[in-house]
Amino acid sequence: MTAFLAVARVTLRQLLGGKRLLAFGLLALLPSVVMFLTTRTASDRAVVERFHDAPLVIIFLIVLPVVSLILGASSLGDERRDGTLSFLILRPVPRWLIAAAKLGAAWVATTVIVGPAAALASGVVGLRAGDWSLMGPAVLAASLSALAYISVFLLLGYFTSRAVLLGLVYVFIWENGITFAAASLANVSLFRIGLSAYAGLVPESQSQLGEALGSVTPGAGGAAAKAIVIAVVAVAAAASLLRRRDLL
Amino acid sequence: MTAGPAFSAAATIEVTDVSKWFGQKVAVSDLSCSFGPGLTGLLGPNGAGKTTLLRMLCGLLRPSDGSVRVLGVDPRRDPSVYRRLALVPEEDAVYGILTARQFVRFAADLTGVARDRVAEAIEAVDLASAADRPIAGFSKGMRQRAKVAAALVTRPEVLILDEPLNGTDPVQRAHLIAVFRRLAAEGRTVIVSSHVLSEVERMADRVLAVVDGRLAAAGDVPSIRRAMADIPYRVRIDVGGTRAVAAALLAEDVVGSVAVDGGRIHVETTDLVRLGRVVPRIAETAGARLTGFEPEDESLESVFRYLVHRR
Repeated sequence: MTAFLAVARVTLRQLLGGKRLLAFGLLALLPSVVMFLTTRTASDRAVVERFHDAPLVIIFLIVLPVVSLILGASSLGDERRDGTLSFLILRPVPRWLIAAAKLGAAWVATTVIVGPAAALASGVVGLRAGDWSLMGPAVLAASLSALAYISVFLLLGYFTSRAVLLGLVYVFIWENGITFAAASLANVSLFRIGLSAYAGLVPESQSQLGEALGSVTPGAGGAAAKAIVIAVVAVAAAASLLRRRDLL
Repeated sequence: MTAGPAFSAAATIEVTDVSKWFGQKVAVSDLSCSFGPGLTGLLGPNGAGKTTLLRMLCGLLRPSDGSVRVLGVDPRRDPSVYRRLALVPEEDAVYGILTARQFVRFAADLTGVARDRVAEAIEAVDLASAADRPIAGFSKGMRQRAKVAAALVTRPEVLILDEPLNGTDPVQRAHLIAVFRRLAAEGRTVIVSSHVLSEVERMADRVLAVVDGRLAAAGDVPSIRRAMADIPYRVRIDVGGTRAVAAALLAEDVVGSVAVDGGRIHVETTDLVRLGRVVPRIAETAGARLTGFEPEDESLESVFRYLVHRR
């Protein structure tokens, strides 16, 4: 446990240090600013509907994937490229534990940024319409999608130094494009994991989110299970890479 | 094949017929040796394969062929060996966001050793006064010492240091060498790689010289020195009346070979000092103006090339 916490702590400091946090903070404010500006004269019902429109889409299709991509790809990939990975590898610590600590830290870091983004945007609903019930589901949903995204991007970051570029292509071509065009592919879309959890926890959102969800069945339990399975597979794959691949 | 100067009687690390290639490039070729308690210097020019060999010893690289056993196990299969084995890598990479103390504590936490050893390890490398400053602001020498402290905190039985003296000033170098020698005297296996012969000579009881991925020479420092005593030096001479001087040089027994290249003469000799006395005399006799006398390849590379060709 000491080793897990040590790796996670150092990783969190690496990921959230410097100007990066400021840039992420500004990005995280975007959904709430949009929400705030577009609901000034809206009715209570319209405020809730507005939240399920632009702000939620900005969170799940822009803020969440971009933050997850940069933090996920950095968490293990930067160590490999910077040459510091040997400090972790040459320790009597199971490889899966290193991978899990890296993933866990990147997930926490992402949630620290995306969680408040979701909370602030849904908080505008609370301020304008007095409905604070969306905040918990929004934060939980963002956190679940973050786990799935981080898992994938952690591996991508280990494999290539062009992870951010490839990740952006993945996010904007696959997640935002192909999976919308072909509804049957929605089940293999990462942002829909969180969105389906949200729709499951906030049933009245389903009519609005139905199109984005495609063939995905709303439900928080299923979404959580999916995210956890992806994370476990990613940890196992990363552990295997750390065990088998040469560290130049 | 476990006898001879390349092998240690009480081996803690055994390298058997190890080769490593990256695509078409052979980094280490069919190398066998062993390391035991004491300080062994791994000597070789840059690009000789030292780092590749050390990384295989630590399990960071898998040998393409052959086997490596450290303290009786394959380090790639059994990470528990890292309780007893530590590496100080050559790369300048460290966690710049951490202070030296945090960095050493991090190593202690990952290895499961008590944190009260942290101060002792920092003290050992004479870094106490800077221990609470972020490593990002450290000089290269200080970073090296921080890495050494992170290795020492685990009190390893086997300590592998890849060019640990790079970037250190003479005082730090002397201090680190004393630390390495003390660890070796305690019965630990200490391997220090370097491309600087004098460095290795100052600290190692035993030397393995690696060139082009092969073991070029092995033994104690005096025997390596003897092996290198008759190495021919190449000297460049800038002088007027080139042809007359070159012809006169050929008649001298101190000169091995002579080549003329425009206004320059390239001479091979085994006695640099004597040649230094002969050349001005010949130039004066020939009425030629001597403007340059410079050894072309006093570098280790020439020494190692010689050792390789001699094998």
